[in-house]
Amino acid sequence: MLPCSWGLWRSAIHTLKTFRASPSARGLCIPTRAVCDAETIFALSSGHGRCGVAVVRVSGPASSMVLRNMAGLTQALPPPRTALLRRITDPQSKELLDRGLVLWFKGPHSFTGEDSAEFHIHGGPAVITAVLQALGSLEGVRPAEAGEFTRRAFHAGKLGLTEVEGLGDLIHAETEAQRRQALRQMDGELGRLYQDWSYRLKRCLAHVEAFIDFSEDELIEDGVLNQVDSSVRQLETEIERHLKDERRGERLRTGVQVVIAGATNAGKSSLLNTLCQRPAAIVSPIAGTTRDIVETSLDIGGFPVLLSDTAGLRDSSDSVEREGVRRARQRVEQADLTLVVVDSTQLPPDPQLVAAFLQEHLSTVLPSPEAGMTAASDRVLLVLNKSDLVPEEQRERTEGELRERPGLPPACFLSCSTSTGLEDFLTVLQSRVKTLCGDPLSGAPSLTQARHRAHLQQSVQALNQYHQYRDQDLALAAEGVRLALTHLGRITGRVGAEEILDIIFRDFCIGK
Amino acid sequence: MLAQKLHLLRHNVLSFVSSRTGSDLTRRQYDVIVVGGGHAGTEAAAAAARLGAETLLITQKIMTIGALSCNPSLGGVGKGQLVREVDALDGLCGRAGDSAGVHFSILNRSKGPAVWGPRAQLDRERYRQFIQSELLSTPRLTVLEGSVDELLVSQPNPEEPGHHRVTGIRLGNLPQTSHNKLGEFWPIPPDRAGVTESVDGSHPILSSSVVLTTGTFLSGSLFMGQTTSPGGRMGDAQSCAGLSYTLKETLGLRVGRLRTGTPPRIVKESVDLSLAQLQAPDKQPTPFSFLNTHTRCKPEEQLPCYLTHTTPGVERVVRESVHLNCHIQQDAKGPRYCPSIESRVLRFPGRRHQVWLEPEGLTSDLLYPQGLSMTMPPELQLRLLREIPALHRAEIRTPGYGVQYDFVCPTQLTPSLQVKSTQGLFLAGQINGTTGYEEAAAQGLWAGVNAGRTALSLPPMALSRTQSYIGVLIDDLVGRGVTEPYRMFTSRAEFRTYLRPDNADLRLTPRGFEEVGCVTLRRYKKAVSVRDGLQEALMALQSVALSSTRWREKLGNISLSENKSTTLNGLDLLQYKDVSFEMLASAFPECLSQYFEYSQRLKIEAVYRPHCEKQSREMERIRSEESLSLPSDMDYLSLPVSLSQEVREILDRVRPNTLGAATRLPGMTPAGIIHLLNYVLRTGQRNRHTEHRNRSSQKEGEKGQLCASNIPISQ
Repeated sequence: MLPCSWGLWRSAIHTLKTFRASPSARGLCIPTRAVCDAETIFALSSGHGRCGVAVVRVSGPASSMVLRNMAGLTQALPPPRTALLRRITDPQSKELLDRGLVLWFKGPHSFTGEDSAEFHIHGGPAVITAVLQALGSLEGVRPAEAGEFTRRAFHAGKLGLTEVEGLGDLIHAETEAQRRQALRQMDGELGRLYQDWSYRLKRCLAHVEAFIDFSEDELIEDGVLNQVDSSVRQLETEIERHLKDERRGERLRTGVQVVIAGATNAGKSSLLNTLCQRPAAIVSPIAGTTRDIVETSLDIGGFPVLLSDTAGLRDSSDSVEREGVRRARQRVEQADLTLVVVDSTQLPPDPQLVAAFLQEHLSTVLPSPEAGMTAASDRVLLVLNKSDLVPEEQRERTEGELRERPGLPPACFLSCSTSTGLEDFLTVLQSRVKTLCGDPLSGAPSLTQARHRAHLQQSVQALNQYHQYRDQDLALAAEGVRLALTHLGRITGRVGAEEILDIIFRDFCIGK
Repeated sequence: MLAQKLHLLRHNVLSFVSSRTGSDLTRRQYDVIVVGGGHAGTEAAAAAARLGAETLLITQKIMTIGALSCNPSLGGVGKGQLVREVDALDGLCGRAGDSAGVHFSILNRSKGPAVWGPRAQLDRERYRQFIQSELLSTPRLTVLEGSVDELLVSQPNPEEPGHHRVTGIRLGNLPQTSHNKLGEFWPIPPDRAGVTESVDGSHPILSSSVVLTTGTFLSGSLFMGQTTSPGGRMGDAQSCAGLSYTLKETLGLRVGRLRTGTPPRIVKESVDLSLAQLQAPDKQPTPFSFLNTHTRCKPEEQLPCYLTHTTPGVERVVRESVHLNCHIQQDAKGPRYCPSIESRVLRFPGRRHQVWLEPEGLTSDLLYPQGLSMTMPPELQLRLLREIPALHRAEIRTPGYGVQYDFVCPTQLTPSLQVKSTQGLFLAGQINGTTGYEEAAAQGLWAGVNAGRTALSLPPMALSRTQSYIGVLIDDLVGRGVTEPYRMFTSRAEFRTYLRPDNADLRLTPRGFEEVGCVTLRRYKKAVSVRDGLQEALMALQSVALSSTRWREKLGNISLSENKSTTLNGLDLLQYKDVSFEMLASAFPECLSQYFEYSQRLKIEAVYRPHCEKQSREMERIRSEESLSLPSDMDYLSLPVSLSQEVREILDRVRPNTLGAATRLPGMTPAGIIHLLNYVLRTGQRNRHTEHRNRSSQKEGEKGQLCASNIPISQ
């Protein structure tokens, strides 16, 4: 599970305690804990995809400063909750970013109960990115963790207890979205880089901790700390260089990730070609034609979609095909939406048996339910391809049968070769993509990047503390490494004390 | 004289329940019974008695109360912190260490005060004497020589969670000889005649709570070479199988098996110390206890330790003897950090391993070879020792041996160290899977506190991991369980820069007195005066403010990073490495010199304070998680909230004590936590309302469970 989402409910716990202590506080809107949240956060709170207006929300004590700096409001702030048309500029370069509406909410009369501001700007990706970057450059302002706005609202007693149930589901959805996002990013150069840093930092910490806990009794080589010194310095240099790199590592894949999966020869590549209206993938009647991922960018109902065709899932002795199958499964796990393609001619002729057949089939294609994806999930669509080869009457009866099965995802009969049923299928697909785009987390690489940058910067700062105290107080120096690892851990996953002890015992002969 | 044969009558028992001052001679009812007289048991008994509970300590041999079964030392890195904390809560081991220490040193002196490790070599005889005389002079504490055969359990109190309730113990038969020994060893002052009891036959003794501190005696077996015999310590009777049976069969507790060992004791005269490296103690011994300004042993009377190393010959002997060594062929888990010489050599071959030769006491003719715990046959032990140059003609007094023993998986305990399923039953020490005197003492103290509170109808208490190493220890045990003997390290503490040995009194003593009740008035007054003194001194330091230029003029050549015009106060300045309190006091004698006694503590406080402040939010968060208790009788499988079946099963299996512990469970989802939280909260509110209407104080305990008011110490 991702550490950032843990932060959310942790604080929620805190707040609920506050509730308990003063139930009246909620009704009277007395700001409680939220006031203590010293940091100011921002996030794009409208959905992604092509849209006319994007809303960027800022919350925290520095909100008024943000508004003054970005909207050129040197004098008084606008009256609360009143829209004002302003030029929005970069606070450093004073470059014009956009013209848009700004709103000021004085706490506690805001969603989060804190001082807040909203920027309603034009919806183009360039404008949004520029505004987010400008916000991130301000002192004391950082990108919000997932769900942090809701959390603060919760803190301030703005959410009633009945809404808590809903919050649970919200957090679940956010965690899921983040998990997918993280999987996508961890699978690649950038992910490997972060993992490598995390591994090396863990070793550094383990060696410092070993030196603290055991060097008086054990034969811990004197050089251990010198090694840590140079490893820490090396890490600092690498992270700093990475932060300065304008390219910022590899480009992240953007858009809603839609993956086509299914058994061999079900017509997955044909579906891809049909959807993108060009032969992007090779199709042939030979099972196992597609062996690697074929990716293509699409625009579905105005939303960016990254469509991937994958190798057919079957046990194969061919090592190339096996690798293709492995990649296919991995891709399904990372997907926002999976289109499971089934050859309709393979369906049982008796419509009453079809539901059970499909259920069984889905369980072989989709990852185990622990990964959060079940057949009933709204992240799966069933495509019953080659409908032209099935007798009309059987198709209709099957369709009727499937409509009454709530345990199954929506199923669409379709023929890629005659395009029958394509319209209906596109309607279903479009509504799904739209829902997914409403989730601000499916495919917001610039925000994720900003969050990563913030943590990497804090990590480097913490490592400075190591050098600062190295000769004066090793406990405080170690604190720097601990903190650096905590920040890196918010990207790569939390690291516990036991894990550090494991490294200590693996690397040293601890004998007393 | 001492042995009082009594025929217990039920109506007698009942009369004693109401009369706490009833004659000790006929007492068959106590508030608290502590089983075991080791480090955990003695602290538990003393703590319960300090709290005001009539306490009975039962031990197999009164003579071995306070015995150091293994190494003759106390403290160290992490462990020293525990000793300071036990002392801050008015426990015994710190003062016993000051009385028995013969070689004091602060480990990690160069690495920063947060990780300093106060440590001492001990005189075994003095340690035992101190502990025994302390217990003897503790009011409300009775010591009984005997062996516990069985735990008495009955139906639970329906008002509280649990499937059983402990009601006392049943004694087993004792060998007749122990009476004589007892009389010789334990002189009874006239006014407390009868305080020590010994009983024949199988007798029940009733109590409200029982603390089990049976160490390695639970199904313990001793190993040496190829021979195995039942027992928990060489030279002592084996423990009664009945107790083990009660825990496993009657109470259904899950147990695991661990192993440990001890080295052979060597005749000092036979060692060529000129071939070993002398390790001198600190010139000025630092006492463990906040109450002591100096140690019993004078600086110049201290004894040295010696350091030597293993040779390739040692490794050869180990390899040749593996087939004769049952202990290391077994797969019970041994500690990774205190392994036998056999496992060290086998795991890290081709290396030189350190061996410390430690004194056993001022008058002892033995040396303790730290690092040479071994279980091979005695003749091979001798061969092995003699492969080390300094020990080339060493003689063994008693050979080393290994012990394997059962421990109760500590996840079955609450943070107050009570067995979740059994009201009034507390466990502490090695029985919970820990190793080390200090870890045992810390748990013993806390189990004793809670056993006493339970008996006196006070709600249980937990220590936060943000406030003490004892809290870290207990939270790790009950929250995560153990897979190998658990030992304290400073790296286990998230808030290491706050949990320092120097401030343990400020962290724990006031609360120990005001809320827990285990601290005596004398110690409390002392801690309060230190706290106020430090506070005043810090304010005085902040009141002297000068520009950096002026400071440089006053103090001479010190490097200050701030620009010339910045104003710095004394506290800011004290953060600098080169600045000491003495320097500042000589610059401003009129307002600072009166605080000379705190100079070291002030320096430490100045350096660490900014870091601790940075962590305070994180601390508060952890504390709030910890303070949300989950009722231990919650039926997770049918809880009317939306939790997945997997999460329900995880919760049902582990039954976390607090929401904080639940979050650390693998497989737990954030959404699950929120739902759980919401449920607990609503239930808590409902309960409170009911209580309000009923004005019933009886449900106080349950309310504590639900609404987190059972953790006053962390609030």
